[in-house]
Amino acid sequence: MSHAIETVGVTKRFPQPKGYRELLTSPLKRKEITALEDINIKVMKGELFGLLGPNGAGKTTLIKILCTLILPNEGRAFVNGHDVMKCGRKIRKSIGYVVSEERSFYWRLTGRQNLKFFATLNNLTSPQSRERIDQVVQLTGLGADIDKVFKDYSSGMRQKLAIARGLLTNPEILFLDEPTRNLDPLIAQDVRTFIRERLVNAERKTVVLATHNMHEAEKLCDRIAIMDRGHVKLCDSLNKIRQLVDGETKYVLKVNGAMERLSDALSDMCHEYGIRGPIAEPSSSGPLFRLEVRTVKESISPLLEELLRNDINVQACYPECESLEELFGRIIRRQ
Amino acid sequence: MGMITLRKPLAFIYKDFISASSYRFSFISQWFGIFFAALTFFFLSKLFGSAVLPYIETYGGDYFSFVIIGIAFASYLQVSLNGFSRCIREAQVLGTLETLLVTQTGIPTIIISSSLYSFILTSARVLVYLLLGVLLFGLKIGDGNYLGALVILLLTIVSFSGLGITSAGFIMVLKRGDPLTWLFSNASWLLGGVFYPVAVLPDWLQRVSYLLPITHSLEGMRMALLKGYTLRELLPNIIPLLAFIIVVLPMSLIVFNYAVRRAKIDGSLIHY
Repeated sequence: MSHAIETVGVTKRFPQPKGYRELLTSPLKRKEITALEDINIKVMKGELFGLLGPNGAGKTTLIKILCTLILPNEGRAFVNGHDVMKCGRKIRKSIGYVVSEERSFYWRLTGRQNLKFFATLNNLTSPQSRERIDQVVQLTGLGADIDKVFKDYSSGMRQKLAIARGLLTNPEILFLDEPTRNLDPLIAQDVRTFIRERLVNAERKTVVLATHNMHEAEKLCDRIAIMDRGHVKLCDSLNKIRQLVDGETKYVLKVNGAMERLSDALSDMCHEYGIRGPIAEPSSSGPLFRLEVRTVKESISPLLEELLRNDINVQACYPECESLEELFGRIIRRQ
Repeated sequence: MGMITLRKPLAFIYKDFISASSYRFSFISQWFGIFFAALTFFFLSKLFGSAVLPYIETYGGDYFSFVIIGIAFASYLQVSLNGFSRCIREAQVLGTLETLLVTQTGIPTIIISSSLYSFILTSARVLVYLLLGVLLFGLKIGDGNYLGALVILLLTIVSFSGLGITSAGFIMVLKRGDPLTWLFSNASWLLGGVFYPVAVLPDWLQRVSYLLPITHSLEGMRMALLKGYTLRELLPNIIPLLAFIIVVLPMSLIVFNYAVRRAKIDGSLIHY
């Protein structure tokens, strides 16, 4: 199966400005910072692929390389089968780049005038651009706001206009860089629903979404590349990433008993089983405590036996999915 | 395809016009500045009277006519030298450069189209200068060779643009402090014969002045408009301008393409 996007060993180093002293003492020595190192990812057609990582992880740099705005130092990157180093024009025909930077618009023009300008630069004829602008305005729900001057737009409207601009050419592949940044929670949720339901499910577009919002990545993405300091730490579906991390599952145990007795009994087991807690939970039938343990499936029965031997009354025991946030923290800490 | 190619420059002109005209005071007041400048030079010409006659006899002997053409057409130098780099810098500062570069329009089209509004505005200003000169201050260009003037004007714009595109390349990489514009702009105003004929310069500086395209542009323009020189008679000015274009224009495109590639490698396209 051909991939919409493929990167092979992509590495990007940026030159760093030198101080006056360094200019005098070592004028020829290059000072660089590595923004991306040996990035290997494959994005399937029609997939919603997330680039997840904290600020400075390299998400935007990778997107800019795929949009042909930055050239890699090493490695190769292909978009729709075209090499970013050689076929910039062909790539730009098949992509839409949604940048959340509101400065990327002309503030004295209306939303429609902005879209018309960018439609012309994307080779749409007048009738085509009129038709397409009407479509994307309807798609993004901009409505009558499209004829307001951009400087009077709210953050939500600006974001919608950025998405509308990215969709002007009806591209096969869409790059969304922090699409819900600066949006209030309600509008952010609207934008997420739009991305998942309209762009991916209905329009079958390939979407690459860069975000540091783990909730967003968890809700939207088919697969995720977790990035940190220029490296892809893990790349797979969320379920697979959970398994890949260490094969352990988080179990929640709910136990009855007096706190003092529990603490004594658990103290020996804590080290062996990595038990976290106890955390008191409100209950009508006496003190109830929540314990969390991360262990392999085979170890949970011996643990339960051990608890029973110590007269700890186990009310419930069930596996619980770790949130991406917890998983992300663990992956970053582990490496 | 042809229509699309023409629509892109028009889209830039329309966009720039909407933006510029939305700043109403600035848009209107710029035209009054032309009147005041013309008036200043009119009174200066009265002051100089016949004292400058020996130097400007070749151009018809009227200082006002001499200087108003110099000022009007030197503004093409200004817009050609600074226009392209200013467009790049504006797009970097405004934050629109990346979104322009990710469209299906080539960089040369973007750069040239971005500066068209400035050229149109400059042409309008030149026309106003000449109209004011003719209607209010006695400028005599009725017997001028307008075709010759147009040829000189086109060669002027293209030759200056070569420098301007090179300058835009510097701005792409250095962001500020373009040495080429600084050098050419100052040398041109000083030695190019804008306010005074090059004949007043010492011999060795006169020789330097003929290395500058503006010297040939202004001399050709004055001869065409004030003395009605034919195209054949304008050849001594046309040939150096052509030579300048042949050398500088291809070089400027090479420099600019290199600068864009360098900025893409450095990741500094939107830095400013």
